[in-house]
Amino acid sequence: MSIVELENINFQYRGSKDGSLVNVNLNIEEGQTVLLCGASGSGKTSIIRLINGLIPHYYSGELAGEVTVAGHDIKQTELHELAGTVGTVFQNPRSQFFSVDTDGEIVFGPENIGLEPKEIKSRMNDVVAEMNLDEILGRSIFDLSGGQKQRIACASVAALLPKIILLDEPSSNLDFDSIELLRGIITEWKRQGKTIVISEHRLWYLKDVADRVIYVENGRLAKEWSGEEFTSLKEDEVKKYKLRPIVLEEELIRQIRGDAASSVCEIQSAIELKDFYFSYKRRPYLLVKKKFKESDGDLLNLNIPELKLPQGKVIGLVGPNGTGKSTFLRCLCGLEGDCKGRIVSDGVTYKGRQRLKICYMVMQDVNHQLFTDSVKSEVMLSMKEEDDKRCDELLNRLGLIEYKDIHPMALSGGQKQRVAIASALASDAKILLFDEPTSGLDYSHMEKVAELLQQLANAGATVIVSTHDPELISECCDFVLGLKHGKVVYLKDNKRER
Amino acid sequence: MKLDPRTKLFMIFVVSIIVMMSATTPLLWAIRLAITLIPILLLVFEKKYAVALRFLLAYGTALVLTLFFLSSESEGIVSSLLIGYCGIVVQFMPALITAWYVVRTTKIGEFMSCMQKMHVPDGIAVSLAVVMRFFPTIKEEYSSINDAMRMRGVMLGGGNVIKMVEFRMIPLLFSCVNIGEELSAAAITRGLGGDVKRSSVVELRLGAADYLLMTLLAAATVIFVVFKYFL
Repeated sequence: MSIVELENINFQYRGSKDGSLVNVNLNIEEGQTVLLCGASGSGKTSIIRLINGLIPHYYSGELAGEVTVAGHDIKQTELHELAGTVGTVFQNPRSQFFSVDTDGEIVFGPENIGLEPKEIKSRMNDVVAEMNLDEILGRSIFDLSGGQKQRIACASVAALLPKIILLDEPSSNLDFDSIELLRGIITEWKRQGKTIVISEHRLWYLKDVADRVIYVENGRLAKEWSGEEFTSLKEDEVKKYKLRPIVLEEELIRQIRGDAASSVCEIQSAIELKDFYFSYKRRPYLLVKKKFKESDGDLLNLNIPELKLPQGKVIGLVGPNGTGKSTFLRCLCGLEGDCKGRIVSDGVTYKGRQRLKICYMVMQDVNHQLFTDSVKSEVMLSMKEEDDKRCDELLNRLGLIEYKDIHPMALSGGQKQRVAIASALASDAKILLFDEPTSGLDYSHMEKVAELLQQLANAGATVIVSTHDPELISECCDFVLGLKHGKVVYLKDNKRER
Repeated sequence: MKLDPRTKLFMIFVVSIIVMMSATTPLLWAIRLAITLIPILLLVFEKKYAVALRFLLAYGTALVLTLFFLSSESEGIVSSLLIGYCGIVVQFMPALITAWYVVRTTKIGEFMSCMQKMHVPDGIAVSLAVVMRFFPTIKEEYSSINDAMRMRGVMLGGGNVIKMVEFRMIPLLFSCVNIGEELSAAAITRGLGGDVKRSSVVELRLGAADYLLMTLLAAATVIFVVFKYFL
């Protein structure tokens, strides 16, 4: 008997066509690992939500058909009754934690279902030993890296000992090494005989894990492969389905881990950075802060005495999580006031707050940087002098002209990103910084971002993009800048056939 | 030093009451100051020296100014601003710093367990716990929004006060609502909201320090009230 049965499912969210499902029939046997792939908005997440009961109990809409999970008729089952049966690891680590400390998070589920404290403690010890969590116990969730957060999320799900584990794009915010750890966790669950359903864009780490791969397109299960069939798919076939690659080249892996030999290539027409030092560990002070210097050595989270960056190119910024990529971007554009670095561009030196004028950072969560009530006024806000014609021109260039009068919050993620870019261009920024612009994007959206970054560079801007996304680097980066422990390890030409 | 959450809650309660009631005689002032010193001492025990020192400085300055340089006859803009500032610091800061101490040093698990011991219904306890959990989230979101505003040079909303607030609040509300929604979905899938009685791994026990502190606080309250209203 199948442990998950979806029969003739038709579903549509209230007020939205995105993610609706059409005639979905799916049976999953106990112990199988199923990978759902396909474009964003194709309905992968909806299938996950059907199995954990969030549809129809939390996200409402029109649902027809039968869902049976481990003998429970989902429509008639209260969500909390499923807690010990189905566990879900969500995409966004910042919004799936109930506690502030790691220990509290792991025991939260078992406490909810009213287990004996003794039993909870023994389960916690098991999970901690299994996933090697000792070093991150007793810490605040807010101080953990993305990878550590995702491991805690896995542990807190595992502590409920569910038979079925669902993962909704779990690798979106992770670097290479954390993804390897995540693969290890999933493999262990598989060995324990759990039924696993994963919705994911990044496919390479699951290629030997999945027993079945299902391609979801416009709410239908369009294609199914067995694990072996999927692994042996040709590159052009994968491209045809608009999927991300299944096999990563060794070279790309080394690059993304910031592991290449140390070397800095010669550069003509450069933007020079000087004296970029910064540390989060501030020494206690009362009235006057001390300046960071190169001699502070290991204390520094960022330590770049001098660096020449190629002008008018796309530069990929790589390195493991927590190695100083975001710090570098924040210091470069002047958001960290304690970093006294200087930028020399075209013979002009920019210090302190002046850096904010020539740099513009498009943040990972674009929602934070859209303030006004229409796309047009968003662009106008950035202009020194309001100029209707130039605004239209910019919106035209970014394909936003038809959304001119729409509230930015009503746009899709990619469109919001373009609005932020439009306002960056409107502010005459010469250096555009992007913090993980493609995390959680499917292949075609990633391609669009890559194209856009190239366009920006062709128009004369220097684009620096921090990323864990090997495909983005091979698509659009002219140079790759590797950071490790806050220091520049290499800067090299990224040879590409175009 | 590890205090029981119940003691901490009681401390917030007492500090707020005593600090809010105006002290009129030297004895009352002494009690009020002693009570204010308790959270500072606790902060020092937690090795939060910088916070303790800054608070002490701000509070000390405000207190000296109120007691010796300002009176109800003071006139002029500077002194009226100062009266306002000092009033706020002297009246509210102690309660605020106590609350800060409690939020920073209490784990959510301890808090939930404490609520259970006090027989507070799960619904109320969970809501309060979510509020506690949300403080750091709001702080994180707020600081990224602030960064974005600095980057766009709209910190002052173009000189428009309404815009200044609007630019901060609208993205903040949007992201808090989103996070809240995802957070509750995640919590429900892990069994929150069932009819089962929640259990708790944290075992709370009142120690000597707890009894001592509670007695002190209770005594201070009784003396304060008696001397203020009955003598």
